[in-house]
Amino acid sequence: MTEPRDELAAVPDVIDADGREDFSAFAAARWPGLVRLAFGLTGDRGLAEDIAQIALARAYVAWRRVSRANDPDAYLRRILINASNRRFRRRRVTEQPGDPPDTPVDGPADLVGERAALLTALHQLPPRQRAVIVLRYWQDLTDAQIAATLGCSPGTVRSQLSRALAKLRESPVLGEGEDR
Amino acid sequence: MTATEDRELRRTLHSTLGAVPPPPVPIEAIIRRGKGIRLRRAGAAVGILALAAIAVVALAPPGSRQPAVPATAPAAPASPDGVFAQGRAGGHAWRLAVQDIADPGYPCQPAVVLNGTDADPVYPAPGNIASVALGPGVGFGFVQLPATASRAVVNGQASVPAVTVTACGLPYRVAGFAYSLARTARVTVPNAPAGWPSVLPVPPVSIEPPSSASTPENAGLWINSYLTGTAPGVLDAGLVFGPDWSIQIQFGTGGDCYALSAQGSGSNAQMGYCGPVSTPDGPETIMALPLGIPSNHSTGVTGYAVQVSPATSQLKATLSNGSTELAAFCMVDGRRYAAFVVRDPLRLSRLTWLDARGRVIASTTALPRFGYVQFQP
Repeated sequence: MTEPRDELAAVPDVIDADGREDFSAFAAARWPGLVRLAFGLTGDRGLAEDIAQIALARAYVAWRRVSRANDPDAYLRRILINASNRRFRRRRVTEQPGDPPDTPVDGPADLVGERAALLTALHQLPPRQRAVIVLRYWQDLTDAQIAATLGCSPGTVRSQLSRALAKLRESPVLGEGEDR
Repeated sequence: MTATEDRELRRTLHSTLGAVPPPPVPIEAIIRRGKGIRLRRAGAAVGILALAAIAVVALAPPGSRQPAVPATAPAAPASPDGVFAQGRAGGHAWRLAVQDIADPGYPCQPAVVLNGTDADPVYPAPGNIASVALGPGVGFGFVQLPATASRAVVNGQASVPAVTVTACGLPYRVAGFAYSLARTARVTVPNAPAGWPSVLPVPPVSIEPPSSASTPENAGLWINSYLTGTAPGVLDAGLVFGPDWSIQIQFGTGGDCYALSAQGSGSNAQMGYCGPVSTPDGPETIMALPLGIPSNHSTGVTGYAVQVSPATSQLKATLSNGSTELAAFCMVDGRRYAAFVVRDPLRLSRLTWLDARGRVIASTTALPRFGYVQFQP
């Protein structure tokens, strides 16, 4: 497959050299958190890196606005969630509960098992409920912040959170973990 | 949820996600991608050039046309090699043709091909409109026209002549064009018969360069407006950890659609993804479909399917533990496919193409974990 990649080299930078340096520092600082957040949303490390790249690429395009935003991290989170949702829509994938998420890291067997069980249980939630759980318990965001990120009302966040927690509580995967 | 459960969930999630080791930030790739996004949003300079060229062709007096400028220049009707449109867009030459893509000795299978690769099997279906992109900026499309129509009009500007091409004994009246991906493209057909839609929207295609071999590609995949698919063919079937599984393929509106299915005790799971149809001499599609096994959440399998060329007699898979296995072969619609599954925790580490004498044709370690990549053996 031959892509016209040479044409991208001719596209002028969106930002000047100083701005590019600022953006590089911003991207380097946010990259680990973005990959981890995307991994929580997707359960797939390759896809997580891809989505984090897309989020930062969009931030690059809108760098003047992002760099002046009161809370650039909130802006970035919104871009990442949207990129994740778009990616799922575009893949035209028939995805069923049970698709195996990547087991994240090595470690003691019981810890690895606990992490794998949680990721599997998370992956069985609908995308929005999964996002609410990750934003609440990984990012420690308030209902209002989650609502702003997802573009819904705080009431919707609370109801989605309640449903997600109920499903996690009843998840046989997490139950198996408790039996171990 | 109790406070204890709340704390436990937070602790486990922090432990799980916090332990993910991210690779170094790929800053150049990010900026490159940002430029790609900007290129599309800004109207894609190359796409604009293509559209401008189309407009020039449409508006300029016939005598003033420059052969090197137009993005769309029709081939002569009934071109012997099936070419029905060609030109230059974004600095690259392009050519659309209808040709047989079946392996030698199998029933003829007509398909529209872009530059001799990336096929879109066609059937007599006037009204079908299809599009594809190979990179950001420029898309390529064709529309199947009724006998009464002599041309199609793209975005109200570019007039594209209809060309009748005969392939596999059937006539196909088609008009091909290049267009900018910066906005939704529409096609109108003057002198269309009664009941014909006044506007045919070109199916949207979206291109973002893949960042790594583990990232699904989406280039080279034709999207059609009509479903003219065939019955599914089963590529491979067997047993993994108890459940029955199978890999099926069916041509749909978006290329070859593969599905890995597993059936456990009382539950089913399926993973599907669509990829480009390869031509006998073009790049081959390598598809990966990861799937959890029903009733066993701690493990899974990844199904692999590869459309292989007629020269390939065997496809050898080398796994992460050093073991090898030969893929099962199957013919579907005159095209040859190989398929196999890899059980967790093993991974596919290499694919090797072998000819009839067992000689290595090609080998690659650039393999997808999900979705497809294209590889030219």
